[in-house]
Amino acid sequence: MKRDKKITQLAKKLVEFSKDESGAVSEAKVGEVLAGLKQVELRNPLATLKAYLSYIRREIALQTAVVSTPAGLSEESLKAIETKYSAVYGRPISAVTREDASLIAGVRVRVGDDVYDASVAGRLQRLAENVH
Amino acid sequence: MKAIFITLLLALSLPLGLFAADEAPAASSVEGKLHGVAEQLHADLEHVEESLHAEESKLTMITEKFGVSLPTLIAQMVNFVIVAFVLYKFAVKPIAATLDERQQKIADGLQYAEEMKTQLAEAERERAEKVKQAAIDAQAILTEAREQSKEMIESKTQEAAAQAEAMIRKASEATELERQKMLSDVRQEVARLVVATSSKVLSRDLSDAEKQTFSDSAAKELANAS
Repeated sequence: MKRDKKITQLAKKLVEFSKDESGAVSEAKVGEVLAGLKQVELRNPLATLKAYLSYIRREIALQTAVVSTPAGLSEESLKAIETKYSAVYGRPISAVTREDASLIAGVRVRVGDDVYDASVAGRLQRLAENVH
Repeated sequence: MKAIFITLLLALSLPLGLFAADEAPAASSVEGKLHGVAEQLHADLEHVEESLHAEESKLTMITEKFGVSLPTLIAQMVNFVIVAFVLYKFAVKPIAATLDERQQKIADGLQYAEEMKTQLAEAERERAEKVKQAAIDAQAILTEAREQSKEMIESKTQEAAAQAEAMIRKASEATELERQKMLSDVRQEVARLVVATSSKVLSRDLSDAEKQTFSDSAAKELANAS
């Protein structure tokens, strides 16, 4: 279903209100926005909230570095990844780990639609692709 | 032809005229002699008359002996002129006209034959020239056809050689492509097997500590990458 243009603009505004001083979406700010929405009477509240949820998810995905690894990863390494990609994208990036045994060893980081692979499985796959 | 007939008629009439005219001088000379005898022998009239009678009787005897008389001679000449005129009018003239016409026809025929002969010679000459020209043209056409056939044979030969070469080249290229594809397939299959084997071996042989160590190293590698 095509979203209403005004609803889309309102959802984007609400996402902006949901960011703290550092530019990251915070739970507290989202709670404030939802509290505010309860106080006003929206023309189409369900569509507005769905659009808001969609944009919040996209924003969170852009602010999250999903680090896939077959084994655990040290806090130091996670911090290094957060620092690195916060600097690369110019916004605060928080890293979350996800276990993936198919990687064999190493890590694979996904920020939004960008994927950075440093896993053994990925290297073997690239090796196999380069052999003609 | 007309002149010939006129000459013939004159030749036929000439002896008769001479015969008739032969008597006239003879008579005049007799008269002269008679006058002379009359003058000289005027006195002897009887003798003269006798002599005259003798002479006249001699002349009469001669004419009677030859059967010549003036009226008959004149009548014969008139008859001859009439006969000649009739012959000229009704025989000689038509015959001469017929002969002239035939001569004209013969002359025309001869002229026509001469013209035909000239035309025949001209036609023969033209025919010979045309035959000669046709032979030259035929020779030129034959030469041109030979050259064209030679060029066509060379062209077809070259074309066939080029086609054969192209076919050989295509076959070689196809063989090479097939070989390259087969080699690529083999390499990919080998690589897939190597990767699969390596993955299984590494998954089985690496301990968790080794995996974590490698993961930390990879994370630092990503973090330090520019």
